[in-house]
Amino acid sequence: MQGCVEVSDLVKHFRSFERKEGLWGALQNLFVREYKTVAAVDGISFTIQRGEMVGYIGPNGAGKSTSIKMLAGILSPTSGTVRANGFEPFRERARYTRTIGAVFGQRTQLWWDIAVVESFRLLKRIYRVSDADYAARMKEFDEVLELGRYLHMPVRKLSLGERMRCDMAAALLHNPPLLFLDEPTIGLDIVAKENIRAFLKRVNRQYGTTVLLTTHDLSDIEELCPRLMIIDHGRLLFDGGLAELKRQLWSETTVRFDLKDRDQALIFESLEIPGVRREKLSDLSYRLSFHRDSRTAADLIRQVVTAVDVLDISIEEQSIEDVVSRIYQGGLSEAVRCLR
Amino acid sequence: MPSVALAFARIGFMNMLAFRLRYYTGVLTYFINVSVYYFIWRAIFQADPNFAGFTFPQITTYVAVGWIIRSMYFNNIDTEMASDILEGKITMALIKPVSVQLSYVARSAGESVFRLGMLSAPTAVVLALIFPVLPPASLAHLAVFLVSLAGSVLLVAALNFIVGSCAVRLTSILGLLRAKFWIQDLLSGVLVPITLFPAPLREVSRLLPFEHIGFTPLMIYLGKISWSEIATALAVEALWIVGLFAFGAWFWRVMSRQITVHGG
Repeated sequence: MQGCVEVSDLVKHFRSFERKEGLWGALQNLFVREYKTVAAVDGISFTIQRGEMVGYIGPNGAGKSTSIKMLAGILSPTSGTVRANGFEPFRERARYTRTIGAVFGQRTQLWWDIAVVESFRLLKRIYRVSDADYAARMKEFDEVLELGRYLHMPVRKLSLGERMRCDMAAALLHNPPLLFLDEPTIGLDIVAKENIRAFLKRVNRQYGTTVLLTTHDLSDIEELCPRLMIIDHGRLLFDGGLAELKRQLWSETTVRFDLKDRDQALIFESLEIPGVRREKLSDLSYRLSFHRDSRTAADLIRQVVTAVDVLDISIEEQSIEDVVSRIYQGGLSEAVRCLR
Repeated sequence: MPSVALAFARIGFMNMLAFRLRYYTGVLTYFINVSVYYFIWRAIFQADPNFAGFTFPQITTYVAVGWIIRSMYFNNIDTEMASDILEGKITMALIKPVSVQLSYVARSAGESVFRLGMLSAPTAVVLALIFPVLPPASLAHLAVFLVSLAGSVLLVAALNFIVGSCAVRLTSILGLLRAKFWIQDLLSGVLVPITLFPAPLREVSRLLPFEHIGFTPLMIYLGKISWSEIATALAVEALWIVGLFAFGAWFWRVMSRQITVHGG
């Protein structure tokens, strides 16, 4: 039960008040209000096993944060069910939140104007962490996150990276089996990001902590999450491994050839290679692209190297950014078609 | 639970410590308030030395002690809650296994302890040196006055929690906060003793909790109500406290279902 999440047909509607424009509209608003119902999350189902690290991505406004907030027990679902750590998050909030940790990258759970360590002391009381456990955890945080330096500074004086380390530690002080991270690396520099990722990997390996994280930085996913879920317009578009996603959406392979000299380039130009798009990058380098279904890279390379003297060959992978931005831009229907 | 409440109270106290400068000016503000009322009452008592059943030293004491205790029971959790809810910071209270009501109320108690030392005590010293403030009617009255004052702190906290909760439904809560602020000052009797209200307003006031915030402890301090009346007043105050906390907890449960936090 601990560390597991089961979600089925989860829906969250927000009712928003439609404002009329102009003076007459403002007067009308006083008496007659029209509401519009927006489905932020529109029927999502998935299961997460203990110890998994799952990336949850989607464009802005896709419903990521709303679903994370329902999973964390902050928002009540309009319909559908969530069970996490054996609890129903919103209804059993008081007992459930004892078993989870959460970081919302754009907010802090630390008290802004007082020393960081005071917030930790409060959390220690709240989660009833024993003195021995507290000391052990603080030592560990200090080793990995180098917290010691900031503990006696008020949060408002910390940089974003320093604050995020403290927030991460605060969420894990009671060693919860389930951790929700909403954009934990937002606004961080590359070193701070690496630091946070290393820490998460370590926590996951050492304690088997289940992690669900949302992000816009796909390298977070590449480094941390063997599994990813893509959501848009409140619906789940994809749920599976990163490799699988690439295999399904990565239709083109590109091979770059660097040739030895001009003569070889002339021979190369005259080669007949059907089904391949040719692109000249410079006098001696060419890029060949082809559809994955039509041939293999090995086959192409064999054909080229038997005919021409080649200095260097590189197979260029399509980046995960390309893949994902295609899903986002294509909207729901196209992406779903791609995935079928 | 009590240890968590203490930990929150401690945070409330430390938080105030970060802004202690603000309180040095607070003493001056309270001094000016009391002076203004002192001179108004002096004018009235020159015309009628036994106005509304008070003597002039009694009314001076009423005003001075009234503002001193107001400096202590007053708190801002309604405003804080409203901004936490409207800015989405309430998320951070909701991910913790602690009742939201407990976390705000305990913090406000910590703040009250801070105000007692940093604001009420210096204000009391300044006022007692400048104005002819009477001592409490007796030691027993002083003791009961302190009990009733502790009740005031809880009463204000319970009320403010309810008012703050309304922010879940209202996008603009400033009007409600202002109205509550003035109604509390008027009906708690800090501006004018309740006994001076026109009869209908006095009847309305009797049905509301506000007079137990200021008027009841002040009447006890001055010894102007009998012991049996004191017993009744304290019992009613206690009922209000229990009732308002219970209502607040229920009200928050209903309201929290409708929380919407957009973005981030």
